[in-house]
Amino acid sequence: MKSDIELNINGTAKKIFVEQSKRLLDVLRENFLLTGTKEGCSIGECGACTVVLDGEAVNSCLILIGQCGGSEIITIEGLEKDGKLHELQKQFIDKGAIQCGFCTPGMAMSAYALLLKNNNPGIEEIKEAIEGNLCRCTGYKPIIDAVHSAVKELNDS
Amino acid sequence: MIPEMIIKNPSSVEEVLQILSNHRTKNKIIAGGTDIIPGFHINSPRFTGIDVLVDINGIKEISQIIELDSYFSIGSSVTFSHLQASSLVREKLPVLYEAASGIGNKQIRNRATIAGNFINNAPCADSVPALLVYDAQVVVKSIENESIVSLQDFLEFPYKTILKNDEIITEIRIPKKNAHLLGSFYKLGRRRAVAISRISLAVLGSVENGIFTDFRLASGAITPIGMRFKEIESFILGKGIDRDLLKEVAVKTGSKILEVTGLRWSTPHKLPVLQKTLYQLLVNNFLENDEK
Amino acid sequence: MKKDFKYVGKSTPRQDAFEKVTGQAKFTDDYYFPGMLHAVMVRTKSSHAKILNVDYTRLLASAENIIVCDHNDIIGSKKVGPIKKDQPIFCYDKIVTPGDVVCMLVGGDIQELLQSRELVDIDLEELPVLTEPLKALDIDSPIIHSENGNNLINHYPLRKGNVEKGFSESDHIIEQHYSTQLIEHAYLEPEAVIAIPLEGKKGIKILGSIQNPHTTRKVVASVLGLPLTKVRAVQAEIGGSFGGKDDTMNILAARAAVAALKTGKPVKIKFGREESIVESYKRHPYNLHYKVGFTKDGLLKAMKIDITADGGAYSSMSPFVTWRTVVQATGPYQVENVCTDVKAVYTNNPYTGAMRGFGSPQPIFAQESLMDEIADILGKSPLEIRELNGFKAGSITASGQKLVDHDINLITVLNEAAIKSEFDKKWQLHRKNKKIKNFQIEENNNFLLSHNEFVEPNETIQKGIGLAVSYRGCSLGAEGIDAAAAYMSVQQDGSVYLISGLAENGQGLKTTFSIIAAEVLGISPDHIQYLEQDTGIVPDSGPTVASRSTLMGGGAVKNAAEILKSRLKEIVLNFWNVKNTEEIIFTENEILLRGDETKRVSFQEICSLAYSKGVNLAVIGWYKGPNVHWDEETGQGSAYFTYVYGCQVAEVSVNVATGEVYIDKITAVHDAGKVINKLGALGQVYGGVTQGAGYALWEEISSFDGKIKEDNFDQYLIPTSRDIGEIEPHFIEGEDIYGAWGAKSLGEPTLELTAAAISNAIKNATGKRFFNLPINLEEVLLNRKLKPTDLKRGSTN
Ligand SMILES: Cc1cc2nc3c(=O)[nH]c(=O)nc-3n(C[C@@H](O)[C@@H](O)[C@H](O)COP(=O)(O)OP(=O)(O)OC[C@H]3O[C@@H](n4cnc5c(N)ncnc54)[C@H](O)[C@@H]3O)c2cc1C
Ligand code: FES
Ligand code: FES
Repeated sequence: MKSDIELNINGTAKKIFVEQSKRLLDVLRENFLLTGTKEGCSIGECGACTVVLDGEAVNSCLILIGQCGGSEIITIEGLEKDGKLHELQKQFIDKGAIQCGFCTPGMAMSAYALLLKNNNPGIEEIKEAIEGNLCRCTGYKPIIDAVHSAVKELNDS
Repeated sequence: MIPEMIIKNPSSVEEVLQILSNHRTKNKIIAGGTDIIPGFHINSPRFTGIDVLVDINGIKEISQIIELDSYFSIGSSVTFSHLQASSLVREKLPVLYEAASGIGNKQIRNRATIAGNFINNAPCADSVPALLVYDAQVVVKSIENESIVSLQDFLEFPYKTILKNDEIITEIRIPKKNAHLLGSFYKLGRRRAVAISRISLAVLGSVENGIFTDFRLASGAITPIGMRFKEIESFILGKGIDRDLLKEVAVKTGSKILEVTGLRWSTPHKLPVLQKTLYQLLVNNFLENDEK
Repeated sequence: MKKDFKYVGKSTPRQDAFEKVTGQAKFTDDYYFPGMLHAVMVRTKSSHAKILNVDYTRLLASAENIIVCDHNDIIGSKKVGPIKKDQPIFCYDKIVTPGDVVCMLVGGDIQELLQSRELVDIDLEELPVLTEPLKALDIDSPIIHSENGNNLINHYPLRKGNVEKGFSESDHIIEQHYSTQLIEHAYLEPEAVIAIPLEGKKGIKILGSIQNPHTTRKVVASVLGLPLTKVRAVQAEIGGSFGGKDDTMNILAARAAVAALKTGKPVKIKFGREESIVESYKRHPYNLHYKVGFTKDGLLKAMKIDITADGGAYSSMSPFVTWRTVVQATGPYQVENVCTDVKAVYTNNPYTGAMRGFGSPQPIFAQESLMDEIADILGKSPLEIRELNGFKAGSITASGQKLVDHDINLITVLNEAAIKSEFDKKWQLHRKNKKIKNFQIEENNNFLLSHNEFVEPNETIQKGIGLAVSYRGCSLGAEGIDAAAAYMSVQQDGSVYLISGLAENGQGLKTTFSIIAAEVLGISPDHIQYLEQDTGIVPDSGPTVASRSTLMGGGAVKNAAEILKSRLKEIVLNFWNVKNTEEIIFTENEILLRGDETKRVSFQEICSLAYSKGVNLAVIGWYKGPNVHWDEETGQGSAYFTYVYGCQVAEVSVNVATGEVYIDKITAVHDAGKVINKLGALGQVYGGVTQGAGYALWEEISSFDGKIKEDNFDQYLIPTSRDIGEIEPHFIEGEDIYGAWGAKSLGEPTLELTAAAISNAIKNATGKRFFNLPINLEEVLLNRKLKPTDLKRGSTN
């Protein structure tokens, strides 16, 4: 059934009239044209669809829009603030954490959610935060390095 | 493909029960959705023909972990991340803490709920062995009734429990007297992360002066549904702990499992490994502690 | 002469990183065109059957908005393939594997399309199913493609010396059988393509996640019966490929194109993960039989090798993949007498084709296991046996090629890896420390243990170290014509367009090529705008395969940049009125004259001057590899014009109670020639090693009567962030004459060694040797695979 749903996406209040059982992933991509969020498996195994929902990393392929009324959602498009990249994004670029880039948005959102909770995570905590984000290209190492460096930069400044 | 459905977002258990009591529609509770939505995706017959999904995420009264006089109350929609972050769980219910920490991945733990896990009742549901050794009870409510049943009785067959369509689980109760016991959870998967359990085990007990005064053992994944091993538990009580006894327990458990499951394609690997890992789990939890 | 590089060899972030990290990069499914339709595939449940009849009556009666496309809509080639044209776009006579598509439903509403699939009535006559490649050539086996006569796709013999004589001169002879599994590329982005009909008679545009746009163009044009120029193939951002977005994507592009022309609307095909795994091709499973003779000193005298590769239902790249195998099957060792036979056969299994590694991971697993075994027999260390037999300058390969004209760095990489990982010390230590008992599970009837079969907790983790080496022919070799083009055009403001005929596959080719161009022109890489891959702009340069892009494409880019540079130099000469071009230096966006401080002009100024003088600053650069040759009958010849060498050392912890293997560390030493982009090169190593580890320990597509069980990431397990410890890359940089400053290949060598090194490490840890990949829980403890007996999911068994 279609209904009105109000939610906040990347800091802006939004209202849409949409089929309630549409996946959050599809609503982001199709209704809001936020195509940064990707689909790699549709069953919660790859993390390409990861967004931050009310402060937690979640798989947007496993959430229906009818469950999201009143929520705050941050997608990869919302990381950049005032034309400035988030430190995580800068480090992803500098440390070679990106190859094909298909996992990157989800990966960055998992890392971002980690930093919301923990401002000084160690390597093991970083690995755990991204365990649900598969990457076939990078072997994870540059991604882990990037998150680690971002933590250092953020804490130093 | 996700079928078209109505989604309701009640804010109290009362409201949920009202919705569920409407028998003209096929209603289904959705919590984390981590079983239901992958189920839709593969057109699982377990999740077809649903008219109304009742989203219980917004209900405060079932999303808390509280310590009461004689038991710990865990709300049914408490997520595994919540369990992991709770110091109460980490300190008083370490077996549950370990089980929760090993489930799926971060994103899954952020959504997946404890009740959803055992209501789905997959053989590999990791919360089950952990809750079984703590003698967990579940609170089942319908618009007319409220009952408290032990988890073991609640679970029926793989992917089937005694829960009826118009009922909700509101709470899981864990008797406080179990909180002082030693124990741990063990899981064998094919990978280090995001791995379905191939074997899961929970042990809990206490040893005084080298003698078992309490002992509980439960399995998952290797048995059709999670189960306790009562015969083995009573066998061990009062016995002096040594390596031979622990080996005997491991072999007896293996033998019991073989009896329950019969021969399967995976038996040649799983059964010996089960015995070896159970033995190690027992040594690590009870013997090493005792020797210290 | 050692050259000082400004950009080459440094760490340069990717050109496309900004778009990718902000979510702006557009992958195929991120495109939407007005009026666009979707298409879904109709498959059968069969693995092998005759198609008797396809009936759309029920479909057409109930679904008015749906348009059907099948083989009747094809004017041109109904079957395609890179070598043999055996794969139908839409099946019409037979089903030969479950991925096969009979027809496609096209319309605006995906949900409706999906539901309508069951309204197509397909009448089949089931045929016996062939899934066992070793039986493919038996006379009573079902024939998959009757026009082929039998199930042989290709057979490559290689004969050198006289193996019988070699064996008779040997002190020891051992024979072993190895097998490797079917695996999936598992690029994170599933297949997606859009076909857009162009106005009037302009033809069609293909936009997609395609690995080789020129190949796509060729296939689409042949299916549509159009000239090549009427098909424009453009690459969207591609979410990984690893060799996997070739044949499947070309066929999908052709299907979308057929539908687009039929409907006059843009048509998108987008696969979900399950469909991706079911229809796409995979890495060949191999059965390898090795017989090796050697002297008591460890000198290899003779090798007899028999290899059968499962090509699955279609030939695809099998002839090329297995050709690399026949060249490299003996490994990087000098052997006087060799007799190798490599065959690829048809079965009803999912078809197999190009995948990163391309016919090398399989024989390397066998030959590197064997080398350790020989060392064991003779009481030598893995290093000694390899040093003794390994290639040195002037060594002769199995195909009779004398290794000259490049850095033959095998022993160098071996020693470097051994030093960096303290191999010898650790290997000896772990070998001595072996006190494990009860490791192999004895399979008795009741599976219950006796008391002495348990493992104490403090003995359960056993550590081991192992290594593997390889050599790898660069680029296509005698497999194909090896040449590549690059188009470069300098604008009047000094900014530069660049595009090469080779396509970005996610590996970072655009950045690598920009660095090469920047280095030559002395401008910063970010002045170079790499264009989207488009067959309308740049000449066909052959496929992005065989780790050839840096070598071949890099050579072409360098050539283009050099042509431009010499034209600009002419301008500068006149501008300054000087004679000697040698003294003109291009650096830091400026042009200087050596020894004359007053002569200094910006790159931009010279470009605008050139423009005003009407000088052509748009060029096509070209690079062609030296000639190579091959004798099909004897397998002799100079297979490749240059080679790279690598050594990986694996350190593992094995849980002898459960069979779990954890990779503590991989030390990877590669001679890739000159490293152009350090960051990119490191990324290739981390990624390749991780894929290699998945191949070693977890990944496997098992099929039942050709049907796939592991059709999503819940069952098909690739490594996660927590599955591998440390990876430590080292590069040995040679000074080769080929390509751009001797930059050769890296992508595939990083992956091909890992499984063999891990297997050898597990042997060192446990004393037990493994012959079948993957070395999963069951293999470790039981030395065999346990397979579920049905397609049920979950862990209920
Ligand atoms: C990628 C992935 C990895 C996973 N890994 C693991 C793992 O390692 N270990 C493991 O054990 N599990 C794993 N799971 C499964 C696990 O996430 C689920 O079992 C989860 O715990 C179910 O809870 P949920 O809230 O998501 O349930 P839902 O999917 O919302 O519901 C499941 C069932 O429970 C019912 N239900 C839920 N709550 C109530 C209630 N309060 N009262 C009545 N009925 C209710 C629903 O109607 C439904 O029938 C994994 C799942 C995924 C997708
Ligand atoms: S698409 Fe959501 S986890 Fe893979
Ligand atoms: S960069 Fe390609 S999947 Fe991660």
